[in-house]
Amino acid sequence: MFKQFTEHITGTQQYLLFSLSIFMVFFIVVSVLLIRLKKQHVEHMSGMPLNDNTLETEKNMQP
Amino acid sequence: MQPEKFYYDNKIVRNFGIATVIWGIIGMTVGLIVAIQLFHPAANMGNQYTTFGRIRPLHTNAVIFAFVGNAIFMGVYYSLQRLLKTRMFSDILSSIHFWGWQLIIVSAVITLPLGLTTSHEYAELEWPIDIAITLIWVVFGINMFGTIFKRRERHLYVAIWFYIATFVTIAVLHIVNSFELPISAFKSYYVYAGVQDALVQWWYGHNAVAFFLTTPYLGMMYYFLPKMANRPIYSYKLSILHFWALIFIYIWAGPHHLLYTTLPEWAQSLGVAFSVMLIAPSWGGMINGLLTLRGAWDKVRDDVVLKFMVVGLTAYGMATFEGPLLSLKQVNAIGHFTDWIIAHVHVGALGWNGFLTFAILYWLIPRIYKTELYSKKMAAFHFWIGTLGILFYAVPMYWSGFTQGLMLKEFNVEGMLKYPNFLETTMRILPMHVMRSIGGGMYLLGVIVMAYNLCRTALRGKLVANEAAEAMPLEPVYVKQTGDHWHRLLERKPIQLMIVSLLVILVGTFVELMPTLTISSNIPTIASVKPYTPLELQGRDIYIREGCVNCHSQTVRPFRSETERYGEYSKAGEFVYDHPFLWGSKRTGPDLQREGGKYGNAWHYNHLMDPRLMSPGSIMPNYDWLLNQTLDTTTTASKINAMRSLGVPYAIGYDKIANRDLDKQAKAIADNLGKDHIKVKSDKEIVAIIAYLQRLGTDIKANKTVSSNK
Repeated sequence: MFKQFTEHITGTQQYLLFSLSIFMVFFIVVSVLLIRLKKQHVEHMSGMPLNDNTLETEKNMQP
Repeated sequence: MQPEKFYYDNKIVRNFGIATVIWGIIGMTVGLIVAIQLFHPAANMGNQYTTFGRIRPLHTNAVIFAFVGNAIFMGVYYSLQRLLKTRMFSDILSSIHFWGWQLIIVSAVITLPLGLTTSHEYAELEWPIDIAITLIWVVFGINMFGTIFKRRERHLYVAIWFYIATFVTIAVLHIVNSFELPISAFKSYYVYAGVQDALVQWWYGHNAVAFFLTTPYLGMMYYFLPKMANRPIYSYKLSILHFWALIFIYIWAGPHHLLYTTLPEWAQSLGVAFSVMLIAPSWGGMINGLLTLRGAWDKVRDDVVLKFMVVGLTAYGMATFEGPLLSLKQVNAIGHFTDWIIAHVHVGALGWNGFLTFAILYWLIPRIYKTELYSKKMAAFHFWIGTLGILFYAVPMYWSGFTQGLMLKEFNVEGMLKYPNFLETTMRILPMHVMRSIGGGMYLLGVIVMAYNLCRTALRGKLVANEAAEAMPLEPVYVKQTGDHWHRLLERKPIQLMIVSLLVILVGTFVELMPTLTISSNIPTIASVKPYTPLELQGRDIYIREGCVNCHSQTVRPFRSETERYGEYSKAGEFVYDHPFLWGSKRTGPDLQREGGKYGNAWHYNHLMDPRLMSPGSIMPNYDWLLNQTLDTTTTASKINAMRSLGVPYAIGYDKIANRDLDKQAKAIADNLGKDHIKVKSDKEIVAIIAYLQRLGTDIKANKTVSSNK
């Protein structure tokens, strides 16, 4: 499967290498940022959909 | 600070919901009709307006932009308000968005059967409608960003990022893929030609799947699944990684639709590499969804909404595993152009988009009507018949795809094609086509039952058009917290988030599109390739109008099985005057790139009148109206002029005498037909399309003769 890359892109490998390296850099930057996120903030964010702030009681809305 | 009272707009959500159901039924019914036509051509009702080539695009446009499109807006308008603790920015804009979108759909329903098409897949609508789409999309954008600006929640939940990425990327895709030169109110030519046009189209086509069928639905999953399961998403951090990795990688994968074509090799390899990588973020998202249900699997047993979600997510996982698999060249060599692709897209469309939409409708409609679902039994019936429908659809299509893909490549011991007649492979798969339409019918039945169930639900309740809510206003100045870093900053800055998303998708776009569009050495020219004659150009436009490209490709891949069957493999330089390219994506019938000179004019005449006269058992519909309709030659001059301004080397002033050449060539063909006792006037459309078919691929053949004479 990798043969097709090495055989067919002679002279234009830079496209593939360039693209893959951009992605690697991008991926690592996002990962580092994620690791540094605070737990409290993550909990706040993930709880967002569960809080609509509607005024009516939820009782008559249960299926 | 006092909490502020405000109202969520449920009416607009309800309206988009109704439109989703109605267009869903219409789009799927058209799908069922075209599926039946593939084993029973007479199901076109003997009518040009309801023939496969014209209404297959109607089916795809209706299910993608009408059914899924309205479902996206329903989900976005419901979740956006609640995640931002505010009403939509403007009720008027919401209304313009709703009615504008429905008008665009109606215009598609009218123009596509009339044969007014650009022929670019999933972008068939002609230029005035393209402009309308742009305007309505901008209205949607203003309404969305306006809502974000007046929010009462500082940070934007990940669902909203997906919505923003959807908005900005679809805008870029639509604009770049709509560079057309209009020649009349409903006819235009694409600015790009041949290989470049193909690359732009499949960069668009692939990313329409990514940013219309995937990212908005992922946003909806991240909002509705936690609501339905009543627990937060499994991993918020994973959802962020999912978002950035997905939007970055998806945009590169388009060229996997063009493997083994004349697209430069490096672009094909790049498309394959990124397609394989795409499995990581896709499965990350699916796993994040499924793990949200951890500890709640007992609910899945009772709750039909969660059942739909689980099957939908599983279908997403299957389709996104299969996508990278199909993009491997060896697999693609067999699967491409066959029913395998049809199975693949329908697992995604019926399973992922369909089932998520149904889950959201079943969850949402009772809530905004403040009542309970009319019948849980009917919903359970819908779930089971829908799931079985998907299986009955997909399994025969996989079988059909493997069967035909392998048959077309098979050689006998003498080294000759085992099935030299394409039709023989078609006949073998017809039973599978019958079963597929049964599967599709089952799925449609489920949707009709859902429509009834939801109607009864709405009738027993009362719409809460404006739902009261209360939240604290945002503090005017943000108080910086210790340990803030830039990603958190991004989460509260919508415009910056949009710009960063835009930059992320533009990286892949530029690396991939720019070299092919700008470096001429990527498309070597061939001296013997000449522009089409005026009659051939008119014939080509009839070919486009009738949607022949939906069943016939015009690109011969460099395999022995294809060069034996069709002739010399395609060269990039052959397509330089093709505005638009017509390579196609499916071979329901054989490839036509080397069709020129293969049969006589009389063969084509009879074949178009009734394909079964020449090919008994053929599933191609009759095109008998071409025999009677007169060719409109008043457009010839403007077509020649348009082509010239796009770079096709017609001499200055040729537009004025083009019809003279057209008449001459038409008379020669009519005389030739006369020798075979076929009486036809030279001004009929059939003559033009025969001229075009006889021209196909002959430039290279002529070249060959020259070189062999040397």
